[in-house]
Amino acid sequence: MSRAVVIGAGLAGLVAANRLVDAGLDVTLLHKGLGGLQLGQGSIDVFGYAPERVLNPIKAVSQVATSHPYAAAGSAAVLDGLAYLKQELPTLLVGDPEANYQLPTAVGSIRPTCLAQPSMIAGHVRDGAHLVIVGIRQLKDFHPQLVAENLARTVLPDGGRLTARHVWVDLPARDGEVDSFGVGYARAFDTEAFRIAFATALSPQLKDDEVVGLPAVLGLADVKAWRDLAGKLGHQVFEIPLPPPSVPGMRLNEALTARARSAGVRIVPGVRTTTFSTVAGRVASVTTAAGRTYSGDAFVLATGGFESGALELDSHQVVRETLFGLPLTGVGDGPLVHGDYWGAEQPLFRVGVSVDAAMRPIDPWGAPAYPNLWAAGGILAGASGWKELSGDGIAVASAVAAAAAITKELS
Amino acid sequence: MTIPEQRLVMGEDGLAFAGHKLSRASLDACVKCTICETACPVSAVTPLFTGPKFVGPQAERFRNGESVDHSLDYCSSCGTCTLVCPQGVQIAELNSQARAVMKADHMPLRDRLIGQTVLMGTVMTPVAPIARAALNNKPIRKVMEAVIGVHADAPMPPAQSQTFEGWFRKRPKPAGPFPRGTLVFFHGCAGGYFEVETSKKSVEVLEHLGYQVLVPKQGCCGLAQQSNGLFDGATKDVLKLCDDLRSAGTDLTIISSSGSCTGMLKHEAHEIMGVDDERLRDVGTRIRDIMEFLLELHDAGELPTDFAPIEMTVPYHAPCQLKSQGIGKPAIEVLRLIPGLTVVDSNATCCGIAGTYGLKKEKYEIAQAVGKPLFDMVKATNPELALCDTETCRWQIEQSSGVKTEHPIYLIHQAYGLS
Repeated sequence: MSRAVVIGAGLAGLVAANRLVDAGLDVTLLHKGLGGLQLGQGSIDVFGYAPERVLNPIKAVSQVATSHPYAAAGSAAVLDGLAYLKQELPTLLVGDPEANYQLPTAVGSIRPTCLAQPSMIAGHVRDGAHLVIVGIRQLKDFHPQLVAENLARTVLPDGGRLTARHVWVDLPARDGEVDSFGVGYARAFDTEAFRIAFATALSPQLKDDEVVGLPAVLGLADVKAWRDLAGKLGHQVFEIPLPPPSVPGMRLNEALTARARSAGVRIVPGVRTTTFSTVAGRVASVTTAAGRTYSGDAFVLATGGFESGALELDSHQVVRETLFGLPLTGVGDGPLVHGDYWGAEQPLFRVGVSVDAAMRPIDPWGAPAYPNLWAAGGILAGASGWKELSGDGIAVASAVAAAAAITKELS
Repeated sequence: MTIPEQRLVMGEDGLAFAGHKLSRASLDACVKCTICETACPVSAVTPLFTGPKFVGPQAERFRNGESVDHSLDYCSSCGTCTLVCPQGVQIAELNSQARAVMKADHMPLRDRLIGQTVLMGTVMTPVAPIARAALNNKPIRKVMEAVIGVHADAPMPPAQSQTFEGWFRKRPKPAGPFPRGTLVFFHGCAGGYFEVETSKKSVEVLEHLGYQVLVPKQGCCGLAQQSNGLFDGATKDVLKLCDDLRSAGTDLTIISSSGSCTGMLKHEAHEIMGVDDERLRDVGTRIRDIMEFLLELHDAGELPTDFAPIEMTVPYHAPCQLKSQGIGKPAIEVLRLIPGLTVVDSNATCCGIAGTYGLKKEKYEIAQAVGKPLFDMVKATNPELALCDTETCRWQIEQSSGVKTEHPIYLIHQAYGLS
């Protein structure tokens, strides 16, 4: 059986590992810590701003410059990846590649995203909607007044308006705890008793026809907890993602990891992959800081970007890809960081590896750096994921495209 | 190999090291992402522990000798926080060090006693039936709880009438030949005195594969002392153990079926106590957990897989101290080679015991709450047998779920037709 080694357990690494094991490969997933999914919103952004607000994300994908990772992966891989996620995680992700949801954020702005959790979509902003945003006194990462007042003064993407007000519930996640984090509340919402207590405290404050916005803490292990709460309240509810830790992100992370685990992926957490070896120009193995070597026929670099240490910038403005020392695109054209922090985009954000149509990192002349090394996700050059809201879609599409290329190559 | 002069950073001034070298250097890598907080099994079940980030990278910045957050004592040192940290912060190590400093001037007698694993073994073995009876006797345990602070319902090591060493010396010597060469076996205190069967089966499997197995006389790795903050004693023990293991040969692979002691040698003694010694580095890089070793053989195409079928579904729990070694869950991969056997990964974070944490009367209930999802999963999967790589975790799972819990090597031994 052919052996594939995936490095990194963010969205790209998890999707790649799952696709490769589905294709019948023997897959090992090496990762340093938990991946970035639970630091995100728990939704799948495909294209949010290009640079104006995007209503049809897959159309925006088809219009990118040739240097953009979407151009390498292709729209078909984006659609394939989104369909795969919806099929594998039906209780967690819904949506239409041709129509973004427009969802309220924890600061009361309106965020475009492609696939969202069913617990979020009642928040999709509509002209004439009446929202009530609910804060919990002991949860200090969520400010309902800020959310409600910002939403109420915003012209919606379709030109309409909504009304929004805020209310509070005073209910500790655990007895005596005055400052709980979101995960503490999510665990509480996993229990029927807490949902009853919460609904009892909230119900009298609700008016007819109001849609109820809550911090995204409505259950962690029980992905239907939000639905049960909605039933108890007799109102539609929606979750608004919080700053990390993201409970919706944890749900996605756990579901994709569990799927990989049960499909037989060998998962090795807590390892930093530091060196590699080659035989006849091919990557033969990678070795962890603890000195364990993993050999394989194919390797997927899904290690992320600067935030995870996959890219490193030294004090001389030299950027390095820290595992394979791959050639980088976006360097050498002047300063990578300029001082106008609220001005033009920092060139640094587009630095990464360039890939061919098979998602293999290439050298400046367009040839694969190694014939059996593929790359996916945040390591790819040419996109500002945080600004475009394209990082999730790039991760999924590049992972799907890389897995397909590997499967074809090894079969 | 010549060994450079011993460089022991800790020595008599061990606590001065704590919190100020290796781990502290990782502190600034913390981006406050809170991933560790979401994974901590202790703060999930009790508000008495505020969580690894709060008492670790955050509180550490305010520590100047004295600790600012005494909830630190409720950290079980399971190491999950370090394992899940994407930035390489040594959260568990920072917390273990800070706790050692915090407890230094008022170390409870109980915490000194329960670190003395060799003493327990040597006292109990000659009077095994009496020791067993005493540790199963409710009134005696109640007195123990009141006087020493070890909870009356906490699991205790099962006293055995024969030590592993006694068995190894007295048995008929295997005649050989040993086509695969020679290995050194490290049994650990528990594997020497209490989990004797695990050690025997491990040696028999290795011999079945064609290895000659050497068992040098060996002492304790000091883990129980380390986890209770007794760094000086633990450092002396671990270095003495390195000498013991090196006495059998300085280029042989060392195999252990004691998952947590292996972790002590591989990284904990260095990362938590700052032991910086060539002997430890040597032993730490040569040692393999037995299931890790079997998987390495399999990956290299050198493990015979003529396993007899075992028609069974069995729950498997990977202990925290195995997971922190960065080797994944090798037992699962190896057990899956046995025809008919379905291995179900508990995927539970921790069983709660964390070495000696769950024995302590003030922490017993927390440890039970931590382990509850695991105990439920074990009972639901197979009420007859569960598998787990480390001793105290097995005692905890067995005591709290009522399901017999053995080392994975039991089934390998059986599938090779050795039992």
